[in-house]
Amino acid sequence: MSADERHERFAEDVAAYVLGALGEDEHDTFVAHLSSCAVCRDEVAALQRVASALPSAVPQLASPPELKRRVMDTVRVEAGLREPRVAASARSQSGGSRWSRGEGARVGRRAPGSRRGALGALAGLAAIAIAIAIAVAGSDGGSSSRVIQAQVTVPHATVAVKLSGGHAELDVAGMPQSPRDHVYEVWIKRSGDAQPTDALFTVSAAGRATVGVPGSISGVKQIMVTAEPRGGSVVPTSKPVIVASL
Amino acid sequence: MTRMFKPLRSAGGDGSAAPLLVLADEELMQLVYRGNAAAFEVIYDRHSSAAFSLACRMCGQRSLAEDIVQEAFLSLWRSGARYDRNRGSVRTWTLGIVHNRTIDALRRRSTREAVQLADEGLAERVPAKERTELEFARRDETREIRDALGQLPAEQSRVIELAYFGGLTHGEIASMLETPLGTIKGRMRLGLGKMRAALGDALEVAP
Repeated sequence: MSADERHERFAEDVAAYVLGALGEDEHDTFVAHLSSCAVCRDEVAALQRVASALPSAVPQLASPPELKRRVMDTVRVEAGLREPRVAASARSQSGGSRWSRGEGARVGRRAPGSRRGALGALAGLAAIAIAIAIAVAGSDGGSSSRVIQAQVTVPHATVAVKLSGGHAELDVAGMPQSPRDHVYEVWIKRSGDAQPTDALFTVSAAGRATVGVPGSISGVKQIMVTAEPRGGSVVPTSKPVIVASL
Repeated sequence: MTRMFKPLRSAGGDGSAAPLLVLADEELMQLVYRGNAAAFEVIYDRHSSAAFSLACRMCGQRSLAEDIVQEAFLSLWRSGARYDRNRGSVRTWTLGIVHNRTIDALRRRSTREAVQLADEGLAERVPAKERTELEFARRDETREIRDALGQLPAEQSRVIELAYFGGLTHGEIASMLETPLGTIKGRMRLGLGKMRAALGDALEVAP
């Protein structure tokens, strides 16, 4: 097939491409063609400007303030993670309690007493014991990939822990928003005290989040989640709302 | 539109958003890439309403639209380095992310549900009281785009709306309208071509 014939075959798909109306396979094939067809590239560039203007035809709405709060909470937390966290030595000031509310361990700015109401609402909920049902998903039917259902203290919330290739990912659903000025923090426990991770998260309006647990889970016995002040803590300052026993 | 901007190094150093407000989006993105949350907030304030409006228009559900916009802006925050000013404005890039993510969400739904939503055309699904005129500067542009779309023959504007706002593939549109695929492709191409001619200089040109 000559270059002209190939161009003719794809030229009629340019409009569908810029509108996002090609099927997945068609899209990939078209993109591959673009790399070798300057005529189609020029046509795409011209029509893309039209497609890019289409959002302006939509009646404009104000984005909800609550949405901004959720987005900016996450952004500020992640921006803070680029700065050095409280030194590990702070952990020794906590008195060694696994779930201590010790001030010295906290990165946040609010006094513990000011958040007890919100955290208490979470911690006070009756623990819902969910059987650790394991769905084996690995192709070998063995331990390479599996899903564990975690225990969650919040009624109707569910957390599936996907274990694959030595790593874990939490699939959270139905969780309430973290208390004001707080985020959820993921902890891992091998032996001894729970260790902090850099995984801090908030949930969407629908209560959903997908969170990767940093690092390998080799030797990890439990994965836990607590509500912590923005920026996270180096020792837990509240009781866990999610516990997954591996 | 030509704007004068203060030197980049003078803005945002104290974490205040005020000096950042005079910066162009492209300059703000340099700060976002370095992890400046205040710069990101300015980007968010400038474009989140357009993003939310697009997602609402496409998926017809506020809660889903919120999730999509949240994911899209967090993606922008985390992948600011991928922004290439030579390929268009920050606004276009942002709305492109929202558009792609909404299409993904729509295609995860059942075909029947997606078609029902898409078949509503350009009907406004959001209560009028929630409209806003926050983007005064874009009103002329909005009017021109709407006029250009509205002046197309109905069969051309319909396939464009079903594809872009409804998230349907051209094959799905052909089935839905019981029209040959080649005809659908032709309508898309003719329609966009006419809009391009009608809008002319009003269209954004990549620098």
